[in-house]
Amino acid sequence: MTDQLLETVLLPVAGPEDAEATCAAAVDRIAAAGGRVVAVHVVEKAGGAPDKVSVEQREEYAEEAFEVVERRCADAGVPVETRIAYGTDVAETIFEVADDVDATAIAFTPRGGSRWVRLLTGDVALSLATETDRPVVVLPDPGDEETDEGDA
Amino acid sequence: MSDEELAKDLGLLSALAVGIGTMIGAGIFVLPGIATREAGPIVVLSFLIGGVIAMVNALTVSELGTAMPKAGGAYYYINRALGPLFGSISGMGDWMGLAFASAFYCIGFGGYLTTLLDGVVIPFPGTGGVELLPTIVLGPFVLSDIQIGALLAGVAFVTVNYIGAKETGGVQTVIVTVLLGILTVFAAVGFFSFDWGTVMVDGTIAPLGYTEILPGTALVFVSYLGYAKIATIGEELKDPGRNLPIAIIGSVAIVMVVYSILVGLMVGIIPYDQIDVDTPMSDVARVIFEGNIGVIGITSITLAALLATASSANASILASARINFAMGRDKIVTDWLNEIHPKFATPYRSIAVTGFMIVLFLVVLGGEVEVLAKAASVLHLVVYALINVALVVFREADVPEYDPDFTVPLYPITPILGFVLSLGLIGFMKAIEIALGLVFVAGAVAWYGLYARNKTDREGVLSRHILSRSDEMPDAAVSAANVARPSGGTQYKVMVPVSNPRTESDLLSLASIFAKANDGIVQAVHIVEVPDQTPLLEGSEHVQRINEESRTLMERVRESTETLDVPVEVKTVVSHRSFEEVFEVAERERPDKVVMGWGPDRPWSSGRAERPLEELTHDLPCDFLVLNDRGLETDRVLVPTAGGPDSDLSAEVAKYLREQLGSEITLLHVVDSEDDRETGEAFLTEWAEDHDLGDAAVRVDASGDIEGAIAEAARDHTLVVIGATERGLLSRLVRGSLAYDVVHDVECSVLLAERPTSRSLRERLFGTRSDER
Repeated sequence: MTDQLLETVLLPVAGPEDAEATCAAAVDRIAAAGGRVVAVHVVEKAGGAPDKVSVEQREEYAEEAFEVVERRCADAGVPVETRIAYGTDVAETIFEVADDVDATAIAFTPRGGSRWVRLLTGDVALSLATETDRPVVVLPDPGDEETDEGDA
Repeated sequence: MSDEELAKDLGLLSALAVGIGTMIGAGIFVLPGIATREAGPIVVLSFLIGGVIAMVNALTVSELGTAMPKAGGAYYYINRALGPLFGSISGMGDWMGLAFASAFYCIGFGGYLTTLLDGVVIPFPGTGGVELLPTIVLGPFVLSDIQIGALLAGVAFVTVNYIGAKETGGVQTVIVTVLLGILTVFAAVGFFSFDWGTVMVDGTIAPLGYTEILPGTALVFVSYLGYAKIATIGEELKDPGRNLPIAIIGSVAIVMVVYSILVGLMVGIIPYDQIDVDTPMSDVARVIFEGNIGVIGITSITLAALLATASSANASILASARINFAMGRDKIVTDWLNEIHPKFATPYRSIAVTGFMIVLFLVVLGGEVEVLAKAASVLHLVVYALINVALVVFREADVPEYDPDFTVPLYPITPILGFVLSLGLIGFMKAIEIALGLVFVAGAVAWYGLYARNKTDREGVLSRHILSRSDEMPDAAVSAANVARPSGGTQYKVMVPVSNPRTESDLLSLASIFAKANDGIVQAVHIVEVPDQTPLLEGSEHVQRINEESRTLMERVRESTETLDVPVEVKTVVSHRSFEEVFEVAERERPDKVVMGWGPDRPWSSGRAERPLEELTHDLPCDFLVLNDRGLETDRVLVPTAGGPDSDLSAEVAKYLREQLGSEITLLHVVDSEDDRETGEAFLTEWAEDHDLGDAAVRVDASGDIEGAIAEAARDHTLVVIGATERGLLSRLVRGSLAYDVVHDVECSVLLAERPTSRSLRERLFGTRSDER
């Protein structure tokens, strides 16, 4: 039986490192299920104030992350599509893309970070898990030996 | 809404807020005390003149900003127009200018923080208590309470940007609205306390003399530095063609009016020589709100001052990271600086380095607000002067992709005026402040010479303009352009123009042989021909898509091509006229050799060119090798020669093939009759020795029929390398009137080699003979 859950998996990647971790956790599983990957990088917009980083710089950064995903997927024989999305709310933007590509699931690897950091930078993982309208697969970070507080 | 639109989410109001928010913090809350001591009540005029100078430059920035809404603003335009030497000066100047300005804003913040916390003492058992913002004395170093406050603020602003705490658009606009609101109340109430008697001192409004107006302007010019920040975030602006000029010009105009009114009020309320030096607005607020809203008014003004200086400092730190990014992209600074933090998604290194400079300036110069302000101004003024030159260069060089939506009125008067006013104002600074600015400019020049020149490959419009017209231009300009030109990639470079990446792996292989022999690199340039009606503007979506597709395609070609482990650099050029583009790219990129393919499937075979062919091909910028590709097999190579510089090139090529691939070389020389055979053999043997091909097979044909002899000999060979015996081989090839029909007659691949003639650009520029290498 084809695993319908992993048919079209949306992989949000925050950067090359995150892409590496996410792919390590996700791609083999998706390959086994015969699914495909849509990788998305969200450029967080301030919505009327200057952004934290220049948009062009973020787009270059996104390309770096996509290169990782494309390489990993090519190695595993998984079809892959990449998208850059822009939005003021990262989680919400991911949902919009998920709608757009008819994703059967959103899969991600939570990134560490203290409560402080998440408070200040917005906890995308939490919003992804709590506000979703479709299956969310939270994958363990294979490279992460020491678990940060509250990471699970 | 498309993503393209979503990426640009700054509306006109937000952009105005950025401009006003950045400017209003500086001058009005910090400088009036110092400025009136320097110029007297007439300092109002100093503010107005500063505004006029800012406005002239604002027009220039607007035009450039609408033509190129790219991250980096001023730096980007100048680097594009004037090349990386001036790019380095403007990038470093802008960057350090922002750091100085941020330090200045922090001092302002520190001052008002001190006023707000005045007398707040932390109870400390034993000693009775410690002031919250103490003055610290460490040997010769004294850190005042204001400096301590400024340092706290500076570290806080840098930290906020480092971790990228979420800022939403509303906040910026609210801050500016609140600020303008408070200032309006201040002005309205203050109007009733205004007294001409206070303004006039001994019957004049210029007790210190009218000559002090311009030095006053030099001091307060820092108040107008904000508008250029709008240009650094131009890429985020909705409809930049309209909103960028309105926001830039509008914010300068609004701020100019606000400054004039407020400073005018101040000198009418408190005698000019008694206005507080550190926190002038608090002082004036104390007077005008006495008897009405009292403490609330004073506190509001103090809070407004904190908001304003904080927002200025914040915007400056953000803008500096944009400039770093743009410089890193052009390799003027290391891209290490622009790494994005994996968790915070901020350019943390760049922010940390800027933060370090700010802290350094605060500690070393924090006691001298005036020096901080003027150092920031001098550096910005240098940049503004260069911006005006950049505008003239773009206009004069007639760059096709330069197409601004907004154009400065009264060109060329406006940019010339901007240049003169910007440099002129520097003249009213004190020697020490000019020296400080010059130190940074000299530092930037040294940086370019020692570091950036070898890294960057970005050449400016100006030097290209001069070098491409080196006949008409004065020698001094040509040699100056040469000295300053980037040498990034002085490495041996073999360029391969590619029209269809799927079929061009032979060219890349061939190029890599030459590159390998010289420890160089191959630069594959994918020339994409687009119809005339498609704009070539670099930012256009279409072109970006082409770039991306081409990059992936070329990566694949590179992977599937035998390149002998030679580094291959991939580049895409979108052009209307691909044949001409081959030459233009070669002139720009300065490769050592160009290896191009020839055949019916290549767009340049049609030779569509606007400049006359003779002109294009007679001044070859480097060696050209044209492969008529019938499959690249290099085991048996035939080199016909009659001597001369072009067969020097064939010999060089043959040598590379032998070195790298162990090809067998046969040299062919044609003589008119059997009588000449011996002379021919002697010539050929000597020629072979001279060209380091002593072990090659030698073949002399006595038929006198060059074409026939080559065709005959080619039958047992896999590749023929022909040097053009006279100039203009390429042009004849393009016109299809090639003297050697042999190119079409033989069955194996033919490589035509043409070396630039003695009139070549290279020789005129470098004064060396190209075959000496």
